Amino acid sequence: MIKSISVVLSLFLLFLIPSMLQSSDIFPYKYKVEQLENGLKVISIPLDNPNIISHYVIVRSGSRNEIEPGKSGFAHFFEHMMFKGTKNFPREVYDDFLTHLGAGTNGYTTDDYTCYFAVFAGRENLEEVIKMEADRFINLYYDEEMIKTEASVIEGEYYASVSSPSRRLFELLRDTAFEKHSYKHTTLGYLRDILDMPNQFEYSQLYKKRFYAPDNVILLVAGDYDHDQLMEYVRKYYSGWEKSNYTLVTPEEPPQTKAKRAHYDWPTKTLPRLVIGFHGPAYSDENIYKAALDLLAETAFSRSAPLYQKLVIEEQKCLSLYASFADRRDPYLLTFNAIVKNEKDLSYVENEIFKELERLKKEPVSDEFLADVKSNLKYSFANALGTTDGIASSLAYYINLTTDPGTINKLFSLFEQVTPKDIQEMTKKYFIKTNSTVVTLTGGKTK
Amino acid sequence: MRKHIKYSLSGILILGIFFIIFSCAKVSPDKLSTEFLPLDGNPLVSFRILLNVGSVNDPAGKEGLCTLTFSMLASGGSKSLAYKEIQKKFYPMATSVGISVEKEMSVFTGTAHVDNLEKYYAIFKDMLLNPGFREDDFKRIKTNQLNFLEKTLVSNMDEQFGKEIMNLMMYEGHPYGHHEAGTVETLQAITLDDVKVFYKEHFVQGNITIGIIGGYPENFSAEVLEDFSSLPGRHTPQLSLPEQRMPSGFEIVIADKKSPATALSMGFPVSISKADDDYFALWIAVSHFGEHRQHLSLLFQKIREERGQNYGDYAYADNFIQGRRKFPAQNYCRKQQFFSIWIRPLANSNRHFVLRQALRELKKLVEEGIPEERFELTRTYLLNYTKLYAQTLGEILGWKMDSKYYGYKDFLAEVQKRLPKITYEDVNLVIKKYLNFENLYIAIITENAESLKDALVKNTPSPISYANPNMPEEILEEDKLIQVFPLDVKPENVRTAPATDFFQKSGVPKK
Repeated sequence: MIKSISVVLSLFLLFLIPSMLQSSDIFPYKYKVEQLENGLKVISIPLDNPNIISHYVIVRSGSRNEIEPGKSGFAHFFEHMMFKGTKNFPREVYDDFLTHLGAGTNGYTTDDYTCYFAVFAGRENLEEVIKMEADRFINLYYDEEMIKTEASVIEGEYYASVSSPSRRLFELLRDTAFEKHSYKHTTLGYLRDILDMPNQFEYSQLYKKRFYAPDNVILLVAGDYDHDQLMEYVRKYYSGWEKSNYTLVTPEEPPQTKAKRAHYDWPTKTLPRLVIGFHGPAYSDENIYKAALDLLAETAFSRSAPLYQKLVIEEQKCLSLYASFADRRDPYLLTFNAIVKNEKDLSYVENEIFKELERLKKEPVSDEFLADVKSNLKYSFANALGTTDGIASSLAYYINLTTDPGTINKLFSLFEQVTPKDIQEMTKKYFIKTNSTVVTLTGGKTK
Repeated sequence: MRKHIKYSLSGILILGIFFIIFSCAKVSPDKLSTEFLPLDGNPLVSFRILLNVGSVNDPAGKEGLCTLTFSMLASGGSKSLAYKEIQKKFYPMATSVGISVEKEMSVFTGTAHVDNLEKYYAIFKDMLLNPGFREDDFKRIKTNQLNFLEKTLVSNMDEQFGKEIMNLMMYEGHPYGHHEAGTVETLQAITLDDVKVFYKEHFVQGNITIGIIGGYPENFSAEVLEDFSSLPGRHTPQLSLPEQRMPSGFEIVIADKKSPATALSMGFPVSISKADDDYFALWIAVSHFGEHRQHLSLLFQKIREERGQNYGDYAYADNFIQGRRKFPAQNYCRKQQFFSIWIRPLANSNRHFVLRQALRELKKLVEEGIPEERFELTRTYLLNYTKLYAQTLGEILGWKMDSKYYGYKDFLAEVQKRLPKITYEDVNLVIKKYLNFENLYIAIITENAESLKDALVKNTPSPISYANPNMPEEILEEDKLIQVFPLDVKPENVRTAPATDFFQKSGVPKK
């Protein structure tokens, strides 16, 4: 007999994957939700897997919160500052602790939220993890000099993606499509604002006070621990955190009244790119609009869709073609994206996309194809839940939107209700020329 | 002979007691190998069809053929189904077939829910065993591969471009010496007939290990084994690789392109791999020096954290491809390995300084070894962090297959056994034995290549400035040493070429 600790641990994790499709709920795990007096919401998913715990802190602040001029990219910048330590546990102590633990840790920033995660082995480490994490959220300490050095790192992160034409394409799309709303800029922010970050010490303090407060944060823990024990630690270490009571009012985006267009000349050779954005609704697990548009995106542009088959497989005009309609707290863009093989085909591909949208206004999608789309969404979601961390990271994405873990099941229930007629109506409502922004990128004209 | 090993999980009460049957078989070099990991009740099934065939098997003048051939299987039609029909059938199952081609191995991957296993496997099997080899698929896939080389790699992904150039420099004239996708010239020379011949020659039983993990039915593995047994019962003889060539001093290639940022990769071949006893001690040393995307990395601390030069700085004891999150991917094994340093893009104005800094840190590592407290810290870190390596089905199966390649039953279990036995002295011994700071291949993607070459050859001082006017005195003092740190760069050892010249006739333009 062979005994292998790593294999034993790993194999147990696999049994977390639910028999999703036999369950009425797409997210079948039992969870508990509690809230401290200071407003901190705790979502706990004890799982029957030995030893692995995922600890997520979700701050409901992202680039959406950067509503003041000159502050684009600040949520992401602040995420970096969160790793600077406290007077109780300076950076080196915090790093040493996580290193000893062998934890998989990091943070990421999105349009709507910023997430800090640690995945680690050993329920005996839970208290110390909560203690250290609570301390950095409550007592984060950095000085003006640390801000200046970290600002250079952000500039470096900008450089790390500077050779990506897709990044530039999306910067331009958002900047062109939005007039007022903070979705106008990307999470990384405008370069001019990044270059000014060394001078933003005071604003960073204000930013922390507004958004890094328990009434704007969700603590999500999944894995091998006792829930009551978890709550005891959470109360012990998080109760002293003071509320912010700040209310963010994001600028309302005025309705788009005319078609927009922009182009970017990429300095070196690259495949031409095209993106067409339409303003759409915000995420909702109650209103069928967003769910119907999610299904429309798949119906019209998935690998199984007629237009994909035509442009990518048969005519071979495009390297890729896909639709994307990310879930956002405020109304966002539904985008159709193509990487085209030959610049002379850019207009043709653009026309084909518009033609397909017009066709879908007239011809409802078949029941069979819609059933395939719904099946794809279910199996895609189910396959992502294979590990403790898969469960936590999938849930983090959704709870940022409504703070309610039940939103996933509500959303998939809405998907089930969507009919071909719903999709047709949504297509008519949103896909009109005056609501569109077309951005193209071509390269190779200069060295 | 089939060998069954029972894993008893007694003592762990969650989910009750169950047994995992491992089946690992190798009948003869001409027959199929298997890695079956049945997990009763698991709703997913993952496949890894691993071939010990890779870009080293590309015929001369047809470099890129292995990638093109296997892409035809994974992204083309079968005899009975056109590719678009396959996509329509896969779509409701939310599944696909993946392919990855490396120097010595290639792997087809796929995952299906048990609800769909029968339907999925019928297509999967057909794609691999009865490929359609249609002209329109060939045209599409070949064009995509060409576009990747010409318009994506050299233009849109400078960090990867730098890593690839360093790899090619390291292995000029060696079977590893061309990119898996080939070059523009060699790809253009490949015909559909070449693809059919390559498939016939190499997609044979003795080259294949069938890996399956998950909740598949009892007779399923036997069915798969029988299906793949229809392949010819022979194998491709393994190439005997020539000795790796160490660089003579600093051998530098600079790809010139208009960009505000510079990407840097550097390294040299090492004579050990995960199969060797010394690997575990070297792993600790290199993890301390540059653990992938972790604060632990000394380079990360010195270049990013102290000085804010870029987004990250790392080092690797062997070929490293990132998989899920920041963990290493599997089935990228090579017999011959290399040490490397990856400096993420930084402002052009600081490129010379940071190159000096990285090499100065390497010199200190080689000459002084690692501090004792860092040895303990890094070892503990690796012991715990590697417990997170194999979480998904595909990862567990992949690590099992890689374990076999390197001669272990379970490499990750071996880590838990071996690391505690490594001493501080062991680590400092292997640093001296395998690492050096004077002979490196260095790949640089930047603009104004000639001016950098000039500065390197003349050892021009490279001071930097900071946004922070109050940088700590000890850092500024160290900077004074770094900015004049001598690099012995010979002009004849520096090649510069426009980025667009790479991957045309050869990966790196000839001297």
